[in-house]
Amino acid sequence: MQDLKLRANDNRGLSQLEAGFDLLGWHEITQGSILHSFDGDATNIVNLKAEERTYSGYNSYTATVASWRVDKPVFNIDVCIDCQNCWVWCPDSSIISRDKQMLGIDYDHCKGCGVCVEVCPTNPKSLLMFAEQRELGEALSQWPEKKKKEEKN
Amino acid sequence: MAITSIKNLKEFSTNNDRFEGAHTLCPGCAHSMIVRELMNCTDDNLVISANTGCLEVSTAVYPFTSWDTSWIHIGFENAATAVTGAEAMHKVRKRKGTLPDNDAPVKFVAFGGDGSTYDIGFQWLSGAMERGHDFTYICLDNENYANTGGQRSSATPIGATTSTAQAGSHSYGKKEKKKDIVAIMAAHGAPYVAQLAPNKWKSMAKGFQKALEIEGPCFINTVSPCTTEWRFDPKDTILLTDLATESLMFPIYEILDGHELNILYRPKNVLPVEDYLGAQGRYKHLFKPENKHVIEQIQGDIDKNWEMLQRREEARI
Amino acid sequence: MAEKFDLNEREVWDGNYAASQALRQADVDVVAAYPITPSTPIVENYGSYVANGYIDGEFIMVESEHAAMSGCIGASAAGGRVATATSSQGFALMAEVLYQASGMRLPIVLNVVNRALASPLNVSGDHSDMYLGRDSGWIQMDAFNAQEAYDLTLCAFKIGENHSVRLPVMVHQDGFTTSHTAQNTYPLTDEAAAKFVGKIVPVDDMLDFSRPVTYGAQTESDWHFEHKIKQHKAIMDSRPVIDEVYAEFEKLTGREYKRVESYNMEDADVAIVALGTTVETARIAAEELKSEGIKAGIVAIRCFRPFPFDQVREALKNVKCVSVLDRSSPAGAMGAFFNEVSAALYTTASRPLVTNFIYGLGGRDFSIEEAKRIFKEQQAHADAGHITTDIQQFSGLRGPYLGFFQTKRG
Repeated sequence: MQDLKLRANDNRGLSQLEAGFDLLGWHEITQGSILHSFDGDATNIVNLKAEERTYSGYNSYTATVASWRVDKPVFNIDVCIDCQNCWVWCPDSSIISRDKQMLGIDYDHCKGCGVCVEVCPTNPKSLLMFAEQRELGEALSQWPEKKKKEEKN
Repeated sequence: MAITSIKNLKEFSTNNDRFEGAHTLCPGCAHSMIVRELMNCTDDNLVISANTGCLEVSTAVYPFTSWDTSWIHIGFENAATAVTGAEAMHKVRKRKGTLPDNDAPVKFVAFGGDGSTYDIGFQWLSGAMERGHDFTYICLDNENYANTGGQRSSATPIGATTSTAQAGSHSYGKKEKKKDIVAIMAAHGAPYVAQLAPNKWKSMAKGFQKALEIEGPCFINTVSPCTTEWRFDPKDTILLTDLATESLMFPIYEILDGHELNILYRPKNVLPVEDYLGAQGRYKHLFKPENKHVIEQIQGDIDKNWEMLQRREEARI
Repeated sequence: MAEKFDLNEREVWDGNYAASQALRQADVDVVAAYPITPSTPIVENYGSYVANGYIDGEFIMVESEHAAMSGCIGASAAGGRVATATSSQGFALMAEVLYQASGMRLPIVLNVVNRALASPLNVSGDHSDMYLGRDSGWIQMDAFNAQEAYDLTLCAFKIGENHSVRLPVMVHQDGFTTSHTAQNTYPLTDEAAAKFVGKIVPVDDMLDFSRPVTYGAQTESDWHFEHKIKQHKAIMDSRPVIDEVYAEFEKLTGREYKRVESYNMEDADVAIVALGTTVETARIAAEELKSEGIKAGIVAIRCFRPFPFDQVREALKNVKCVSVLDRSSPAGAMGAFFNEVSAALYTTASRPLVTNFIYGLGGRDFSIEEAKRIFKEQQAHADAGHITTDIQQFSGLRGPYLGFFQTKRG
């Protein structure tokens, strides 16, 4: 899922929030510490998906907090019922849903809180936490079987 | 107003977020769940203001903004005044025809934490409500000054430990009860006042849409569990909110025109408040034998409040 | 469309009414205000113009001065023309948000009717509130009478809204002596005033949804310094714009304004440097002293911020002794205005003698006789070649003599 072309601009993921921007001089910074969210006309933004938008370099969408994560959620599309619980409760706008379908996780913005896993209603869950460095394929190969009713907690 | 479909989550999920990731709120913070949902409830343009607080310091850290709409922060206390100043300017510019697009639909929304809403910005909020501006104020109530490290606010419930109302060998934490902000806002005669919770996403979305649609000043208190200061695992934010609403620590209800009260969620099996308190570190000390009376008092207050809400609902006045 | 307001070529207006007429003629979109003596009539009048259809605007009567400026900031970020008025305690309550307005580069116009700061409480004029604003990042202009309050308020919009400036502007006038004293005032016609001020062209407009904008970001140690210095430079760079606007106004009205005003300075030996209505008192004193053979001049600061360091130096470099009059309690220091003028003079080759009088606190009268006495004392210093009294003294103060600091140059 991570191959999905969701990069609105090529600058996506290049800037590290922790490292800050290029530290500009007084003559280069914006007047009044104003920040514009988009480059160009953004009138219709509400109708555009992330990959269709022209985010400016000031938009935090172009930054990443991936380094905050210790564990990461892994998504198993084979179990998912597209209920969108994870989408509505993700605090980091990191569940990629398109046309009512859950497609994957935005690992540039996910902080690894694990809320998505907790609210996932399927059996077994379609989202599980794994150590950050674990390969996705390996994680998916270790997916648990469906729990029997009496085993459910 | 161009409201979005909230028939079910699948429909709702077709909205394109206008609140972006890589903000610096804590992992599992409920603030951003609430903000995202508000912004996904409408397709209208939004002018949003925020009081100083967790939301503000985490979403506009120069040179990044997480807001895909017009946004302003001035100080700790004045988000209501900032956004209603903009609302007044919108009115006059619309009359004069000096807006870039005179027909562009727009809604005005202010966000504040409980510190800025219940305490330091109380006067500014009250003034803006009284003046009748067409705006919606949403309090992200995490019951403490989380941004400055967890001090007590007048929204902190009795018995909770905070850095300035500590539990210790001679104290069970905060001694005073939480201020009833919903009642105070309803007493302003506001057309729509509610208390909502992010675990009940649909009732929250319905409330947001009502507030945005109704002309005049609307106020919504939202429970926003704070993983850092309430001391629970970030993954459990929604679980904590469930415990809050199922124990009736946070009843979900609305008040129309200052008097008509509707309960929006009735738990099938009301949980004892111990279940809610026991899930958080900030109430751990209440389970010592000498503090048992505080839990009894909290349960008693919850029961009385629920009784009051039900009677007011029945009374229809 | 607003109703026609009938104006005579010559009106008898007090400073408050003059300022409020300037707000009407500038077609201010939003005034968010809270009443406080002696500035109240300015916003009351705006409210009355709205109520009677003389202006199409929104008058928001908020619940505090802090909220007044907060509402002005929200309104100004929403792209229209914004003004309000305040004094004293109200100004102090506004102080937090004054810095926010300038930091966001919002061209709000604030009429400040100068009044003392409590405690003890006092409703009369001094410059304590004006001084409180001096580091707030606003342009500060000072009117000495009703006509100037009107003229400078019109100029304030044109200066602040200029895209190379984009700063908020305060127009000061003295409480009661200017604000409540009716004087001959010559207004522009509504058409001429509107043409002079022009229409506001928004910058970073929150209501332009084609370009969503974030106001009020957090900047920590890696960014804050650059933003503050960019703003400081903008205030410094507003000097030629202020000069241009004054020049354009003179063309239109024949009334000349300079950032530093000089009277009788051509051959002056001694001078008073002052702000506000005191300037007019000192001018009469200087005229009267001519017959006594004292060459006395007055340097008045029209533009308190940006501080006209170079022009002050230029205006005073040829005098022998200068007294700087501070109308605010210095509270443990030399007068702030004294310090600024002295700093400018220290960089001249001639380095005139400089003394400091604290005067007029809480509306205490400053008479022509007292101005004469101060001039004569400066003449004595000049004749002696050094300051013969304490450097800091008090004018109009009851009780035993009080003074601080002796010169080391005598």
